[in-house]
Amino acid sequence: MVEMTYLDAIRDALRAALRDHPEVVLYGEDIGRFGGAFKVTLGFQEEFGADRCFDTPISESALFGSAIGMATQGLRPVVELQFADFGTNALHHLLNNAGTHHYRTGVPVPMTVRAPCGGGFGGGPFHSEELEAIFCHMPGIKVVYPAFPSDARNLLYAAILDPNPVVFLENKYLYRHVKELVPRAIEPVRIGAARIVRPGQEAVVLTYGAMVHEAMRAATRLAGQGYEVMVMDLRSLKPYDEDAIVAAAAATNRVLIVHEGWRTCGFGAELAALVAERAFHLLDAPVMRVTAPDVPVPYAPELESAYRPNAEKIEKALVELIEY
Amino acid sequence: MPRRDSGRLDEMDVLFPQTSVTDVPPPEWARLYRTMVLSRKIEERLIRLYHQAKIFGGVYTGVGQEAIGAAATSASQQEDLFAPLIRNMTIHIGRGETTLNIFRQWLARASGPTRGRDGNVHYGNLKNGVYTMISHLGAMLPVIVGGVMAKRRRGFDTIGFGTIGDGGTSTGDFHEAVNFAAVYDVPVIFLIENNHFAYSTPREFQYKCARLADKAVGYGIEGYGVDGNDAVEMLLFFRKLAADLRARPRAVLVECDTLRMRGHGEHDDSSYVPKELLARYAARDPIKVARERLTNEGMLAAAQLDAIEAACAAEVDAAYREALREPPPDPATLAQGVYADG
Repeated sequence: MVEMTYLDAIRDALRAALRDHPEVVLYGEDIGRFGGAFKVTLGFQEEFGADRCFDTPISESALFGSAIGMATQGLRPVVELQFADFGTNALHHLLNNAGTHHYRTGVPVPMTVRAPCGGGFGGGPFHSEELEAIFCHMPGIKVVYPAFPSDARNLLYAAILDPNPVVFLENKYLYRHVKELVPRAIEPVRIGAARIVRPGQEAVVLTYGAMVHEAMRAATRLAGQGYEVMVMDLRSLKPYDEDAIVAAAAATNRVLIVHEGWRTCGFGAELAALVAERAFHLLDAPVMRVTAPDVPVPYAPELESAYRPNAEKIEKALVELIEY
Repeated sequence: MPRRDSGRLDEMDVLFPQTSVTDVPPPEWARLYRTMVLSRKIEERLIRLYHQAKIFGGVYTGVGQEAIGAAATSASQQEDLFAPLIRNMTIHIGRGETTLNIFRQWLARASGPTRGRDGNVHYGNLKNGVYTMISHLGAMLPVIVGGVMAKRRRGFDTIGFGTIGDGGTSTGDFHEAVNFAAVYDVPVIFLIENNHFAYSTPREFQYKCARLADKAVGYGIEGYGVDGNDAVEMLLFFRKLAADLRARPRAVLVECDTLRMRGHGEHDDSSYVPKELLARYAARDPIKVARERLTNEGMLAAAQLDAIEAACAAEVDAAYREALREPPPDPATLAQGVYADG
């Protein structure tokens, strides 16, 4: 076992993919010689060559578009957005081009988009966005969002080898805040499987990304008050693990959905709809949500704290849910 | 070689010396002519099928612009890549798509290139090196840049041809793709088909520069202007340019002057296009120009061209009738193929 941060795990998966698969190429803004805004690819250009890890002009649309071109000509491009927020400059390529390509032509598009997302560090409105709901809305795209170094490493490697376009959401707050002992070798995993990261029977928190850790903190505090709360890390948002969610609802009868992104049409709305469709008869209380409000991500720490879900807000909602 | 010209585009001269047509063997000229004639005959049939309500949705043709794709594909090699748009029937034909498949696509048959998943002009065949366009203009240009980068990295001597209209040069993707290819010397010919109108919008509301080829200067690449209605001239030019790009890979802009001879689609009477402009280009119809040059300059005899025309007509008649008899897609297959793994 080796200890890795979330960022180390991402770097390790990329290095393994470059080493194991000659068709893998990495490119994006500042990722070559400079090693990327978060230094994920530091040293890769020296190690693997400038034709496998290189910079682009500030052209997110050319980045996504060219990746489609590469992925349909025998390569497996992994493109890095400096921030997920900037991916909105190129969404049309995912929605219209990459996401429709196999359906229309029968030719797969094995490309991976790495999208550093999320707030909590004073990034303000354009460096903190949580855009999973937008990506998940697109047919033909897979979306994964790990919360732990082990999952980040395994899921990124799986995303790169997946025959479809995959958006790999990586939470910037977790980069250096989360460490874990992981096995030396990357393990093959199936995209689409949730994981119970804390058992419990009073309620279940369905969540992903940085909010998994906030939910764990909330659950730990509630355990001190005699409430055992299950925390489920979805890990993959498209596809998502419907059966695991229904089973968790059956086991706890109370469902709280937590995410860092906006509320209206957020991914939690999809989860709530699933629970309503498949687990309505199992519920002892209404489905509740803790999400960001429908507000641009604010800059001032006082405002961002009010904006962003955290353990305190989750704990409060859980008490309300359990005592309903 | 062509030179840059600061004059108005519609006064553009032939920009390069009349290099010898004897460099090109007669079967190549026959292929060039066939591609154009077959395209015209397919599209004339599509227009009829549209008016007979046998085609669901719109019909968009490249009538009057056949020379560009015919010349570009004739000058291309097996491993080259193309990103055609809606006026580029001759790219599909020139890269080997069958007439039957083209009618299957337009008639939305289960057997067609997109199996009814997509319609009309949105088809391609990567086995022929042809990408399937999306409607968003400019969007296929970064795709072909990446495709060419990938194939070259895998050891092929690939060059790319990405088409765009005068309107499409106003998109952000045009800029991003040309700049990206310029920076990395990716050998893509950005083929600007300047047909004077983007749907109804004339050029003066689309761009301010004298010539679109002049935009090349800002990207640090070469820009050429050619007569887009002269297939003979363009074939010679593209052969030379393609060989040069293989020897010294780099991105270039090529602006082809032409005119859209029908509406944006068949639903559009294009009454906004001045009659005298249409007349001027009708007199220089690309098939007519090619026929005159091929016979006058001794590449092919009139009888050979007649035989090509007759064969194309028969091929079109057989193909559309066969496609009409084939079944549409089964609604039960609606959700199949969204993902490559199920």
